[in-house]
Order: sequence, then structure tokens, then C-alpha cells
Amino acid sequence: MSNPIQAIPTGLTHVRRGDTREAHQRPLELGLIVRLMRYTRPYAAKRNWLLMFVLFRALQLPLLAALFAAVIDGPIEQRLPWGLALGTAAYALLALSEVVVLHFRMRLAMELGEAVVNDIRNEIFTHLQRMPMSFFNKTKLGRIISRITSDANNVRLGVQEVLFVCLVQGGQMFVAAAMMLWRDQLLFLLLLTLSPVVWAINRYFRPRLSTAHRNVQESFSRVTATLAESVNGIRVTQGFVRQDVNARMFRDLIADHSEYHLIAQKMHGAFLPLLDLNGHVFAAALLVVGGYRVLAPGVDSSIGDLVYYFFLANLFFGPIVAIGRQYNNAMTAMAGAERVFGLLDTPPQWSDPPDAVTLPRIQGRVEFDRVGFEYEPGRPVLNDINFVVQPGQTIALVGHTGSGKTTLINLIARFYLPTTGTLLIDKHDTRKINGKSLHRQMGIVLQTNFLFTGTVMDNIRYGRPDANDEQVIEAARQLDCADLIEALPDGFDTSVGERGSSLSLGQRQLVCFTRAMLADPRILILDEATSAVDSVTEARVQRSLTSLLQGRTSFVVAHRLSTIRDADQVLVLDHGQIIERGTHDQLIADSGMYAKLYRQFVRGIDLS
Amino acid sequence: MPTTPDDPSNGVLIRRLLALSWQYRRQCLTALTLGAGTLLLELTALGLVGLGIDMIQYHADSGITPISGWLGAQLINEWSPMAAVTIISAAVIGAATLYALLWYGAMISEARLVQDIIVRLRSEVYDKLQRLSFRFFDSHESGSIINRVTADVQAVRGFVDRVIIEGLGLLLALLFYLIYMLNIHAALTLACLATTPLIWVGVVTFTRIVRPAYKRSRTLADDMVLRLSESVQGIHVVKGFARQESEISKFQQASLAVRDQQQWIFWRVSTFVPAITFLTHLNHIVLLGYGGYLVIQDQLPLGSGLIVFAGILQRLSTRVSDISNIANSVQRSLTGAARVFEVLDTPIEIASTTQTKPLPNGMLGVRLDNVEFGYKEDQPVLHSVNLEVQPGQCIALLGATGSGKSTLLSLIPRFYDVTDGQVYVGGVDVRELDLDELRRSIGTVFQENFLFSNTVAANIAFGHPEVDRKQIKHAARIAAIHDFITQLPDGYDTIIGENGVDLSGGQRQRLAIARAVLLNPSIMLLDDPTAGVDPQTEHQILTAMDQAIAGRTTIVITNRLSTLRWADRIAVIDRGRIVQVGSHDQLMAASNWYREMAQLQGAQANATVTPAGTKGSDYE
Repeated sequence: MSNPIQAIPTGLTHVRRGDTREAHQRPLELGLIVRLMRYTRPYAAKRNWLLMFVLFRALQLPLLAALFAAVIDGPIEQRLPWGLALGTAAYALLALSEVVVLHFRMRLAMELGEAVVNDIRNEIFTHLQRMPMSFFNKTKLGRIISRITSDANNVRLGVQEVLFVCLVQGGQMFVAAAMMLWRDQLLFLLLLTLSPVVWAINRYFRPRLSTAHRNVQESFSRVTATLAESVNGIRVTQGFVRQDVNARMFRDLIADHSEYHLIAQKMHGAFLPLLDLNGHVFAAALLVVGGYRVLAPGVDSSIGDLVYYFFLANLFFGPIVAIGRQYNNAMTAMAGAERVFGLLDTPPQWSDPPDAVTLPRIQGRVEFDRVGFEYEPGRPVLNDINFVVQPGQTIALVGHTGSGKTTLINLIARFYLPTTGTLLIDKHDTRKINGKSLHRQMGIVLQTNFLFTGTVMDNIRYGRPDANDEQVIEAARQLDCADLIEALPDGFDTSVGERGSSLSLGQRQLVCFTRAMLADPRILILDEATSAVDSVTEARVQRSLTSLLQGRTSFVVAHRLSTIRDADQVLVLDHGQIIERGTHDQLIADSGMYAKLYRQFVRGIDLS
Repeated sequence: MPTTPDDPSNGVLIRRLLALSWQYRRQCLTALTLGAGTLLLELTALGLVGLGIDMIQYHADSGITPISGWLGAQLINEWSPMAAVTIISAAVIGAATLYALLWYGAMISEARLVQDIIVRLRSEVYDKLQRLSFRFFDSHESGSIINRVTADVQAVRGFVDRVIIEGLGLLLALLFYLIYMLNIHAALTLACLATTPLIWVGVVTFTRIVRPAYKRSRTLADDMVLRLSESVQGIHVVKGFARQESEISKFQQASLAVRDQQQWIFWRVSTFVPAITFLTHLNHIVLLGYGGYLVIQDQLPLGSGLIVFAGILQRLSTRVSDISNIANSVQRSLTGAARVFEVLDTPIEIASTTQTKPLPNGMLGVRLDNVEFGYKEDQPVLHSVNLEVQPGQCIALLGATGSGKSTLLSLIPRFYDVTDGQVYVGGVDVRELDLDELRRSIGTVFQENFLFSNTVAANIAFGHPEVDRKQIKHAARIAAIHDFITQLPDGYDTIIGENGVDLSGGQRQRLAIARAVLLNPSIMLLDDPTAGVDPQTEHQILTAMDQAIAGRTTIVITNRLSTLRWADRIAVIDRGRIVQVGSHDQLMAASNWYREMAQLQGAQANATVTPAGTKGSDYE
């Protein structure tokens, strides 16, 4: 019907086909359906009422049409004014009951779907919270979000619509067929001969339409991806005078998108009129066959049959199309359900053992005993790590990117468990303890300095939810940064995060420090930010840091020289092993790897 | 809806939208004509079926009134009953086929028209966007800018097809239906349609109630998604502070809020839809009662009267509910138009003048003369800045965040124009130079070194897409990134960015340097190229820079002492003023501030000399 598009224009950006997109549809699968239905169990009463209303509706619609035809065929044909009045009244009553049933059938179905989806969303979220860190490192945020948005929505549609619409439509088709069959067998045969045509049209166009729509979406995602980069990279574009080249590429891209649009529209333009044409062909055939039977002598048939069929036939053809549409929805819902269940069925790689020890208040002694770790089997990231940290000591971790510093602190934070060897905290093996009881005594500040949407106060309080405002402010005072927070637009009530004002890097760091301070942890883990903040803030950050480290066992992935120098012990990591250890002065004196790194760090500065 | 005080009025917008539609009048007319044709044929087919029923009834029961109308009368007189019915049936199929074809034609011509408008408008808006000055991008969120090219353009073209074509089509349909029905029986028509305006009123009221509710529902859903995305992004904080339980209960609240809001909507939808359904039923009840009475009284034929009426009423009720869609489209296209026209109307602030001076040959120097600049009128960022960079010299700019360093840099390629004073490149005021030529002679390495999701080669060749691989490799070697690139899975053809290979900060930075080097620019501008990298990476970038700036006039922003070492001179900027200029040694001797900063970065390095003292002693 139109030429397929050969080359996808590329240029400014590359959007690979299908690489980010997940399967859109999936064949029906009994297991998934049964499992979905299980979610309606808590709402069994609602569901059962709904089923009843569905049955009512399947009866009412054909009855309504049949009654209209019967009034024409009866009182009107036989010229009975009183009969007409009665018939009209009956019709009015039936119509009224139909809309009442419609109200309940709509409301209950929508409520049921929403309730099920709400439960599914909560289940997903709860499940996510149980997943270990490794899951979040492997899974893209967008994927996770689409589980509770588009996938959950498709499932909702499946529950709200597919089943009940199919039941109503199927029932209606069946009832209408039975009524027509009872009325006149020959005309029914005529109807049956046309129904495969409707079915075939539907069968032909539905998959093609959904492919066409997918192509439209895909080409559009190329447009938006290019657009987004054009806007975000506008400074580069103008700086490198690329406006004309970009404009040409973009024009090709939208022309391509619009071509797909046209293809989809042509498909629609053929599909809808064809279905409509079928209805007209049936009406014409009805006239000929029905007319012949009414007019031919010796056949007992009346004009009433014709009228009857004229009104009821639509209730027979309509469902074929409607169910076809639901079939599409059903497959989309299946794909959504499969992904949702796939996530729910992913067991956490590890979780606390059933007999996990709840830690009492710890001293903060940490011991690595021949600890090895690998994210993926066969690719060790840490090898044979041995060291002991006494309560209250500060340990600086130093090494190149990829040397294993971050992994090491991930193990101490118990975001991962050692693959081999044991990690002891106050003589407790981290494998055998209750994670929460450890984390309540631990403070973690990472490079990202992540803040949640909310006020600064909320974010600090995250470290200890039961702290009151005074305690929060006191924590900031202890770090000597209360004045800096108060200087923010709304002080401690300044809202931050995606929708709040943006804090500078230094300010974010201070908020995160205060959060850790308020938690008053026994063990502190800190991944220093590498980015330079301006010198005034930098000085404050360093001072706060010193107070924060005081009296706690601390592990710092250090980028600041002052932090390293003040550490009780510096561990130098390289390729997953500790290659040097000692204080700053000892290591400089040893003139090994650390001394080299150090020289690189201060290279080019000559104070003499 | 966010509006600015100088928003154009709806009247102005509608006039402009009408002018836009007028340009497509011929295609609109085609679509409308085809639409009118389908209406006529639809009614014809329906009327013929009614006639067929009447014909059969007439022949079966000759007691009723003879059929009027030329076609009916002729058929009864000249043809046998069966032949007449067959002819009518054939005519029904004929009319229906023609109707289907015209319908197809109407849909296609409308789709073509829509695509024509979209492609043209989108190109226009995109083209304009590319040329707008940075100021526009500073003051608009990127999401909103993207929307102008996508959704807003859609809304604007909606004015042509959804408002004009569909609105006129609807009017036409109502007119045709009405005339047809009035022709059959005036009183019955009025009786049947008496409740129809109620449908319209109902639809409009309902939309008014439910639309804000849907909006709120979306906001709540966004909140819920935000909860999820933050708990994933901040999972280490959640786990680290053992706050999983409270996160779960917060999410459940958010999810419940969505559910409650949805239930509220459901209740109204499930009340409204049946109510409207009942109104259409009401039409049929009147038709059955009153129409049936008329048939009994022989004042109305059964087929071409009652049954045709039933068919038309069915179609009418669907059409009437379209009115609210049209009303929505008007609103949407007005909002979209305001945003699209804003882009098209924004003057291009920075452009070449008609009479440009040529850029001198050879190495270019840069001079800022009493430069004043502010992004907003009353908030000056730079004050009487004077700075001279000799051809081939390297100057480092140093200062706190927000002191105006990046702003100063962006004045040189004319990303912004000065408020007062002059910027000279090669001795010519930049405003007198050809803008493209000026920018091509400057290689800029931005702070947020944006790379496009494309191949490595295409990114390096961004400024000169036509160059060959050899030149690309040359630039990559200078930027000390060639060895790394050859190790990538597809070498120079490796796709980077969102759907490709992730690069580290240092790698991205060096690619950005290669991109600038490829221009072979006379002037290099580097905006803090070593911000936020670890010492090892810093070392790599410095190596790259070392070669990249050789033989070029360079201005580099930096906070790192290690970078300052090349600079022939260092300019210290504080709150928009150049407070000190000198070499490293001069500044170490003369500036307390500079010395302090140097010490903070570990300059007392040598270091073991100073005893490691009390904690925090390095800041006094």
C-alpha cells in the first residue's frame, strides 16, 4: 500500500532500533491470566457483583434493540395505539435499567482495576526495597519506573477492560445471534456468511495497524532524542557553527517520521470504511433476500423480520470488531504483566539469614580477614584484603579509579557480602547479622551527595527520623555549618531536590554531613567528592569533616590531602589489593606507589 | 497555565492561526468537499435502505400509502417488486462503496495536509531554535523548549484539522442531517432533537469538571513516580540509614492518593457516561412513541421515515459529543500557538551585521576593553573588565564560583554581547566580524562538555563534518585520546552517549578537546577542563591540553594550581572584577588570597616540612 522506507536518516544522533524498547505485546498465556486474576481476590465481592452486571448488560443491549423492532413489528404494524404506548413505556423502562446497570458495570470495573494496580505497585516497591545493591547497579532507573507506570497501566487496562468488555460483547453477540436465529434461520445464515469477512478485515488490519503505530512511535523517539540533544548541546552547536547541518538532518528526520504517519493513516483510512462497507453490504443483502421472502408467495415471512434484523445485526457485527480491539489490549497487558511478574519473581541475590543476629551498640572495630570479592563470577575486584581497624580510627583509602576503593566501602556498608573470607564488625560476621541493626549505627556519605525532594530539615532528619528541629539544628552547629544552612533562601526550610532550589556542591555536602552527624553513627563511610568547590566553602567543608570524623571509626575514600594526612592509617589499593599501608609520613618515606601518586597530585607546584 | 504579562491575547492568536490555515485553504477545501460528499452518500445509502423496506412493505401490504418521491414512484410504476428491491439494493452497495472510497480519500487528504503543516512548522521552529541566542536557552527549561517542537506544534496544526476542518465538517453534518430529517417530518424532527442540546451541555460541563481532576491525577502520579525514582537513585541513603520501611509506607501513601483521586474520577465518569447514554435513549423513546404514532396514522413511512430516523439519530449522538473535543482543541491550540509563536517571534539577538570586516590573517589576540555585562539588566556580572591576551599567549582565569569567569569567556565567541565596552579579536570589534567566521576561528571546550549520541568520529568532526578520517585521527592524537579510541569495540565508529559506550569524565573532556582542535582554531577557550576529576585523569587532560594549545592564543578557566603552571599570566577575578593579574610567582608573593588557595590545594606539599599539626590547621 506504500513503499517501505529504506534508509533511516541518521545524523546528529543515533537511536538504534529496538534497543531501548521492550516487547510491546505478548501472546495470551493462561498462567499470567490466572496470576492476574488472583489479585482480584481481596476484592472478590466487587468482582462478583461486576460479573453479574456484565451478564445483565449482555442481555439488555440485544433486548433493547429487539424491543424497538418488536414495537415496530407489533403495535405499529398492526396499528394499535395503546399497544404502542405500552411498548414505548416498556422500552423507556428497559433503557433506564440499562443505564443504571451501565453505571455499576463501569464503576466497578474501573475501581477493581485501580485497586489491583495499586496493590501491584506497592508490591513492586516493597520488593525493590528488599533487593540488594547489585540489582540497582545493573538495572536502569527508566526500566524500574516503567514497571510502575506504563506496565502497571497496561495491566490495569487488561483488568478494567479486556475481560469485562469481552464478556459483555461476547454475551451480547451470543444473545443477539440466538434471538435472530429463533426469529429466522435463513437470514441468520446470510449473517453468518458475512461475519468471516468482518473477522478477516479485522485480522488483516489489526497487526498491521499496531506495527504502523509502533513505527510512528519509533521514528518519533528518534525525533525527540535528536531534539533533546540539539537543545542540550545548543552551546556546542553554535560554538561550532553547525546550525545549517543540524537543520538539514532534522528536516530529514521529521519527513521520515511524517512518512510513517501517512502509512498509519492510510491503514486507518482503509480499515474503518471497509468495516462500514460491510455493514451496508449486509443491509443490501438483507433487502434482497428478505424482500424476496416477504414478496414471494407461499413463504411465511413478514416485514417485521427485516426490521428485526436491521436493528439486531449491528449487535452481532459490532462485537467482532470490539473483541478484536480488546485482543490487542490483552496482548499489551500480557507483556506488561510478564514484566511486572518478572521483576517480582527476581529473588534478592541475598538477604539476611533467618537467624540473623541483631547487633547491640557496637564499638566500631572492623576486621577484614582474607576478604575477596567479585561482582561477576571469575572477575575478582578485591583479593585477599586483610586489615584491622580499632574503634575510633580514621582510615584513608587511596588508589586509582578502578583499584577497588569503592568496592571496599561497599562491603563495609554491607551493600554487598564478601565472596570469600570474612568481614567482622565487633567480632560479628557481617553475613550473620541483621542489616538494619548495623545500618542504624552507620553513616554513609557518598560522592553523589543525594538529597530527597523536601526541605533541608527533612533531609537531615532522614538520618534520625525521631529527631526534633532543635536536635537537627544542634547537629549542624556541631559541624559548625548552621550559619551556612541558615543563609539559604529559606534556611532549614529551603526545599531541595528535583523541584526545589539547587544547592551548590559544597552546600549539598554539608547537608549530607549533617545528616550523618545527626545519625550519630559508630562507623562512618565517606566517599569524598572530587569536584572542587570554591575555596571559601572548601575550607568550611574540611572543618566540618574533621568534627564529623571525631570519635567514630571512619573510612574515607580520600581526595583531599588534608584528609589523608590526618588519617590514622592510609591504605593504598591497586588492582584489588592493598599494596601499601601506614601513615602519610611513613608512606612518603617509603617512596612507593603512594609517594608517586602524591607527587602527581601536587605536580607543578613549586613554592620555593 | 504559566503566562507572562506580555502574553498575546487570544484574539491575536486566533487571527494568526487563521492566517496560517488560510495558507492551506486549498487542501482544507478538498478535505471539506470530500467530507461533504461522504455525508451525502451516507445519507443516500441510509435513505435507500429505508426506501427498500418501504417498497417491500408496499408490495406486501398494499393497504398503506403509496410511496412518494421520484425514485420510489418510478420504481413502483415501472418495475416488478423484486426487480425494484434488487435495484435498490444494488444502489445501496453502489452508494456505500463510493462512500467508503470518498471516506478513504478524505482521511488521506487530511493526513497529508496535517503532515505538510507539521513538517513545515517543525523545521521552522527547529531552525529558529538553533539560531536563538544563549539567553533564550538560559531562560527556558530544556523540556519546555523540546515541547515547542513536538507537542506544541501538534497543538497548532490541531487548529487546522481539529478545529477548522472538523468544526466545519460538524456544522455541515448537523445541517445535512437536520435538512434531511426536516424534509421527512418537521414535527418529529423537533421532538426527537429536543433533548440533544442537553447532550452538548452535559459533555461541556463534564469536561469542565473532570479535566482539572485528571490534571490533579497526573500530578499525584508524578509524585508517586518521583518517590520511586528517588528511592532508587538514593538507594544507598535508604539502605545506609535502614529506612526501607518508612520509604515503603511513604510510597504506599502516594500510591493510595493516586488511587483515591482515580476513584473520584471513576465515580463521575461512570455517572456521566450512562446519563448521556440515557439522553440518546430519550431520543429513541420519543422516536418510537411519537414516530410510531405517526406511522400508525399513515403520516410517516416506516422505512424511509422511522427506520431512517433511527439511523440518523444514532449518528447524530456521536457527532454531538465531538463538540467538546473541538472546544478542547481550540483551547489546546491557543496554548500551543502562544508557545510556538514565541519562538518564531523571538528576535535573533546576535547576528552578523550586513557590513562585516574580515578577520585578519595569522595568530589573533584578544582584548577586552572596559567590558560591562549582565544577564539581566539590573544585575551586572562583569564590571569594567580590561584584559589583553597577546597572540600566542596563554592566560588563566581564576576565581570563586559565580565570580564571572565563564561569562567572560562566553563574550569572546559572542555567545552574548557586552552591555558596554568592547571585545576585540584580532584587533576588530567582534560585533563587526562575520559571526560564523569568528566562531570557527575559536575552539571552545565547555565546562559541561556535551557530546552527541553518535560515533566518536562524528563527535570529533562536529565542527567540520566533511573532514576525512586522517584529520580526525590527527586531532585525536593531539588530544591524547587516539590510543583510547582504538581500544573501543568499534574504534572511531563506536557510538557513545545514551545508547552507547559510557565514557569517563576525563575521556569526555579529551574528546571535547579533540573536537575543538579539529577546527584548527587560532584561539582556544577552555572552561575548567579539569573540574571534578581525580589526579590521574587530571594528568591525562593536562597532557592533552599541553599539545592542544601549542601555538594558539589560549584562555583557560581553572581552579587547579596544576593547570595554572602553563599560563603566561593569571588573572584573578572576584565578583565580576579582575582584581589581580600576574604570573604564579608574582601572585604567590603579592596576594594573600592566592596563597591561601594554593595552600588549600596542598601546596605545602613539600610539605612534610610543615608538621602535620592539629586537624584543620591548613585553613587559618
